[in-house]
Amino acid sequence: MLTRYLSLAVKNLRRRLVRTTLTVAGVGLAVAVAVSLGGFVLGYREAIDKSIEMLGFQVMIMAKGCPYEAATLMLKGGTGLLYLPSDTYEKVKRDDAIDAITPIFVGIAQKEASSIRDEGSEKTFTVVDGIEVPSFTAMKPWLKFKGGAGYAGGKWFDQASKDEVVLGYELAEYEQRKVGDTFYATITPFGKPDLVRHEFKVAGVLERTGTQDDGTVFMPIDAARAAFNRPNQLTILGLKLKQFNAANMREFETKWLKLPEVQVVSLQQVKTTLISLVSTAQTMIAAVAVIAVIVALIGVINTILMSVYERTGEIGIMKALGARRSDIFQLVWLETLMICLIGSIVGSIGAWVGAGLVEKAIKSLADLGVSGSIVRITPGVIGWAMSGSIALGFFAGLYPAWRAASMRPVDAIREGAS
Amino acid sequence: MNNTIIEAHGLKRYYHRGAETVKALDGVDISIREGEMVSILGPSGSGKTTLINLLSCLDAPSEGTLTVAGKSVAGLEEDQLVEVRRGVLGFVFQQFHLLPTLTVTENVELPLTFLGRTPVPNRTKEVLAMVGLSDRATHLPNELSGGQMQRVAIARALMIEPKILVADEPTGNLDRKTGESIFQLFRQLTTKGLAIIITTHNTAFGDEADRAITLEDGKIVSEETPGRPRAA
Repeated sequence: MLTRYLSLAVKNLRRRLVRTTLTVAGVGLAVAVAVSLGGFVLGYREAIDKSIEMLGFQVMIMAKGCPYEAATLMLKGGTGLLYLPSDTYEKVKRDDAIDAITPIFVGIAQKEASSIRDEGSEKTFTVVDGIEVPSFTAMKPWLKFKGGAGYAGGKWFDQASKDEVVLGYELAEYEQRKVGDTFYATITPFGKPDLVRHEFKVAGVLERTGTQDDGTVFMPIDAARAAFNRPNQLTILGLKLKQFNAANMREFETKWLKLPEVQVVSLQQVKTTLISLVSTAQTMIAAVAVIAVIVALIGVINTILMSVYERTGEIGIMKALGARRSDIFQLVWLETLMICLIGSIVGSIGAWVGAGLVEKAIKSLADLGVSGSIVRITPGVIGWAMSGSIALGFFAGLYPAWRAASMRPVDAIREGAS
Repeated sequence: MNNTIIEAHGLKRYYHRGAETVKALDGVDISIREGEMVSILGPSGSGKTTLINLLSCLDAPSEGTLTVAGKSVAGLEEDQLVEVRRGVLGFVFQQFHLLPTLTVTENVELPLTFLGRTPVPNRTKEVLAMVGLSDRATHLPNELSGGQMQRVAIARALMIEPKILVADEPTGNLDRKTGESIFQLFRQLTTKGLAIIITTHNTAFGDEADRAITLEDGKIVSEETPGRPRAA
């Protein structure tokens, strides 16, 4: 029986193909916005989680400053860096609560226009991380060297070396550098007016991690300090606590905030900060999605109501032929649900296909502080959007279906004939 | 063959138009037997359609008693009237009222959908053959002539094997020759025990019936028995 109702509903919808198509397109657009938003919320949270997890730390100690900068500094790199005295490392590392600690010096170097892609550009910058290899790699055991032709034999530099670097995957690709090549960087030493051009030997190229590390130049911490003329400074202390929970974190924070010009940031705080940064934008997009859904809903109701009015005579005949109120209700309701179902399928496919464009658009509008993909459209997101669309169709169809079902056959036939 | 299938006494139907009460039907007594063809004649506004709507349970009387296929209809709401109509009454209208998106076969089988019955292809073929449309089964209504469309409407009405066929101006949109063929078909159907009620302006067609009832101002003003011999 349902098959026959479905067949009737499909034929009714095909009768006004342009109108049905436009209505389906409206629903599709609303669903596409909703799926993209859902994909963005999910993808962004996952990107933050991944970026933070791939930092390898639970806690960062850094110089006091804007907490947003602190949050994005390690995830995305940045300018306007603030520095801690290097003895902070000596003081903090003796804390019994610490399981592992690594000092990091971050600087910004100007790259030479050595790549064909730099042609025509005035100058480009790259993040330089001065690290202590043993403690840094202990925090990030997943870092591996790229193999294959030109990359074989990649290894970490000697800690005492002054002219060796390890390149992140994307940077090496961009600069077209392989193991043994020369990497050029121009650095302005602190307190000095002139730029100094450096030549480094590429000791290794890392495999892709999908994080900021892919665009980073790694070098020994002392060499980095010397190059930037900040011999007794560091940027961040990355830490893992033996027992990481809210109470321990508070205790640890209270203890080390006593040091002047120090802020202690847990990566949970970083995550919260980053999420709050985009929550306003997400709310705005959600508002647009809600408006799109309401407009689509009105469109669906309008289309089905028009269809019901146009078929007044037919509805009267169907009732005369024995259709109960419930039969007419089901028929009209099915049409509404079909519009919403088809619209949601079209919208979901559109959102899935266009996810890359949405991601580019979002990234071009705002720096969200994370690397990697920020729009992730999963079957779950599509499922939610489709369920929501069908649920809305369920409600949108109620009034037109009730209107049609309530027609008295004698009136409907008379109206249909006039 | 001679059992009464419709019985009405003092049938009245009033409509309220503002403060005014319009007496569309004002005390009609009528009785129709199985296998009988009754034509209802009268000028526009005489109450023909109102009477046929009441007798076919599309509308309920304001006053009076009405029994259709053994069920009392007076005072019933639409939800109850449809239960009386289902499987008992077949309808044919002047405007045909075929669903334009459905083929001839689909239109004919449509009432079965609402009765929850699965169409039996042989039955559909049989009904289409009865109305002379076997070769039009897959056509859409817009591919048919007026007479063919009316035959589809008749086939649709017959598909459920009704006890009563109600035809409101069935030849109103047809030429005389086609109208005559429709009446011949009706005549054949009465031989199988089907009661047929027809409204028509055309007195010549009205005389084809077993009885011709004439209405004026909502009242029966004459009831004739043309006595035409039935077709074999």
